[in-house]
Amino acid sequence: MNISKYEEAIQNCRFCFMCRHLSAIGNVRFTEADTPRVRAAMLYGLRTGTNSFDDEDFVDALYRQDLSACCVHHCVNHFDENGLALAARADVVEAGKAPEAVKALAAEFSASASWKAAGKGDVAWFLDGTTAGDKDAVAAAKKLFAAANVAPKTITGGCIGKALKLLGFLPEAKAAAEKFAAFLAAEGVKTLVVSNPAAYDALTRDYADFGVKLPCKVLHVSQWILQAKLKFAKKPAAPVYPLADDFLRNYDGIDAPEKLLKALKAECRPFGTNDEETYNCGEGAVVLDRLHPELVEALAKYVAARADNPEKDTLAVASVYVKRALAKAGLKAVTLEELAASCL
Amino acid sequence: MKIKPDSYMFEMIRTELTDAVGDANVDVKFADKFGHSIDYYWIPEMWHDRGRPCPQADFIVHPGSTEEVSRVMKIASQYKIPVVPWGGGSGSQGGALPVFGGIVLDMKRMNKYYGVDRDSYTVRCQTGIIARHLEWNCNKEGFSTMHLPASIACATIGGFLAHRGTGVLSTKYGKIEDMVMSLEVVTPKGEIIRTLPVPRHASGPDLTMLFLGSEGTLGVITEVTLKVHPQPESRQFRAYIFPDFHTAMQAGASLMRSRLGPCAMRLYDETETKTHVSKVFGIDLDKGAYLVFGFDGRKDIVNLQMKHAREIMEGQFHGKDLGAKGGEWWWENKYKFFYPGYMFHVPQAFGTLDTVADFAHIEKVYWAMKNVVNKEFPDARFIGHFSHWYEWGCMLYARFIFPGDKVPPDPREAAALYNAVWDKAIRAAIANGGVINEHHGVGLKLGRYVKDLYGSAMPVLQGIKKQLDPDGIMNPGKLGL
Repeated sequence: MNISKYEEAIQNCRFCFMCRHLSAIGNVRFTEADTPRVRAAMLYGLRTGTNSFDDEDFVDALYRQDLSACCVHHCVNHFDENGLALAARADVVEAGKAPEAVKALAAEFSASASWKAAGKGDVAWFLDGTTAGDKDAVAAAKKLFAAANVAPKTITGGCIGKALKLLGFLPEAKAAAEKFAAFLAAEGVKTLVVSNPAAYDALTRDYADFGVKLPCKVLHVSQWILQAKLKFAKKPAAPVYPLADDFLRNYDGIDAPEKLLKALKAECRPFGTNDEETYNCGEGAVVLDRLHPELVEALAKYVAARADNPEKDTLAVASVYVKRALAKAGLKAVTLEELAASCL
Repeated sequence: MKIKPDSYMFEMIRTELTDAVGDANVDVKFADKFGHSIDYYWIPEMWHDRGRPCPQADFIVHPGSTEEVSRVMKIASQYKIPVVPWGGGSGSQGGALPVFGGIVLDMKRMNKYYGVDRDSYTVRCQTGIIARHLEWNCNKEGFSTMHLPASIACATIGGFLAHRGTGVLSTKYGKIEDMVMSLEVVTPKGEIIRTLPVPRHASGPDLTMLFLGSEGTLGVITEVTLKVHPQPESRQFRAYIFPDFHTAMQAGASLMRSRLGPCAMRLYDETETKTHVSKVFGIDLDKGAYLVFGFDGRKDIVNLQMKHAREIMEGQFHGKDLGAKGGEWWWENKYKFFYPGYMFHVPQAFGTLDTVADFAHIEKVYWAMKNVVNKEFPDARFIGHFSHWYEWGCMLYARFIFPGDKVPPDPREAAALYNAVWDKAIRAAIANGGVINEHHGVGLKLGRYVKDLYGSAMPVLQGIKKQLDPDGIMNPGKLGL
């Protein structure tokens, strides 16, 4: 089973309560089932026969997870309960027990795995479907490229593997990854700039796990902006509340967003009561808004309840997913690209 | 009482519960019932490890208000269904396990924070709030509950109230019962009552204290007003190594007798210093006993307190000074001891023989327990530290650990071995002036010793229980009631 690769997490998380306060879903559903402790204990129960994927509620709990990896980030030993949950989803799929909604979503993403390129050159910008849906974020990125005198080749299209991996469809995810890597090679891409943190994480971590080699260097847009050494004429018009990104902080450990905010001379205010929790409404789960829109709404309300002034505050986020989710609770968020572009 | 899920009564009760708290807040599915069947008590962990299902509730109910708790209690009272309040489920005594089925009343939906009263320096909240969340909220307002236990991340405030929990700053700020102003409680019959709004009065016996430590056997605590404190200007720590734990104990007791008022103090015996403190801090403390203490408050006063404390440690007891850094190691890593990798774990068998005694008896208690464990259970290792200090005595956090290969594979035999250690060690502690226990509570694990402990006062406790909960539905099987 895939979960056997995460024996350390099974053994150590199943009786541990130390990250309970960071269980985003647990904090809006108030359940034990939505905590790393209980998920690990349920998965341990597979081997003793007390638990089984035949139980739909067990499987549902696995697919409800927000996958922020706050628990991994918090844990002094960084036991990878998120990796365990993903492996469990893969086991669910292999056992033929995936819920119908999950299977339908996987089929949709699998079918979407094709891309188009517009423009020339070996620097490309991957405009994923989520980011492409936000015209302000797109316009901001274009303004930044123009300011840097870079006319990147723009790549648009569907799933590059991340959503499929998160749903537990590993062969399909790997196939999408291989296809995208081949596409990039065929397009002669040497540098790929990525706006969506989930896509960045897929390209930098998942592809390596799949053994898929990329023909290019991958930069998150925040890294690219810093490297481009753009001249910013002004600082952001209003103070911002930066939210640490699930992927960029907890999975990838990159500090470019913080450095960018510093370079912009943004007046940053701490959001909420702490910097440990995720305020990203299930960003780490990528498709939580498709599987459980009601949970994303609840998570957004949770965030709104922690804002100093929910109607006026501006939250700085790395992902359009988060921006869109927070808007459901009436919160105003801007992407890093939008913030940077406003300073040109 | 177990109610068959396919029975008519099950659906009737479920319908009534749904009517009381809403359909989304009554769970009868597998995952959450499973999650509420294991807490931090070793026996259910071991059963789970060995593939033996643990007793589950029939219904997991998430009330959102005091009124909803009241409605649930009236339903439970009518049908005489057991009700087990559940906070974070991180108790180590089995106090929240639904051993007789019925309703688990998961309180975490009742997590409202009402803010700090800046005139009285108090904070009011519902009891389902996770302690870390409460502390974060208070911190944002510039205050602290000063209740900082290792379980802060997972336990609810209600859980601490239910079993009289304590945190690492207990020496100055007290245990949870010292922090409470007043409570709101729902009785087993569903009545909503409030205790007097101040903790100091001469208006008869203190009902607040009656419910603190009652472990859900007398009612459900739904709301609390707690004292809070402004964040201190300065908090300083210092640590020493003493050649043996006896000398360190004398030094620590002298510091307490000096009434200098440290905010925290902790002493690890030689074994725990070598095996645990060294590992957690990542330094070599091969010999001796590690003692750490701290002061907090105004910086000038803290400096003065520290100066006098150093005179005791160095001048009177010749401790080897590890400096401020040696103390900060502990403060920075105080919770690290409890993370997997540093904490004990099944298949090991382990337990915390939490005992409290005055200074005249505490060393006797330590040796009595250590000797009996070493003699009767040669496969077990005994370690101890003294983690909560008061003017009159301190708490012994003694632990026994069996390596996994010395624990019988049969769950019954393993439980029998485990219980035998408790029987021997706890009775040795009581016989030498110890009281079980200081902050973990009684729960299922220690219920059988309560009669020994209370002696002729036991009927008083039983009488109170009978009066408030005549049908015995509140958390049956716990607290020896």
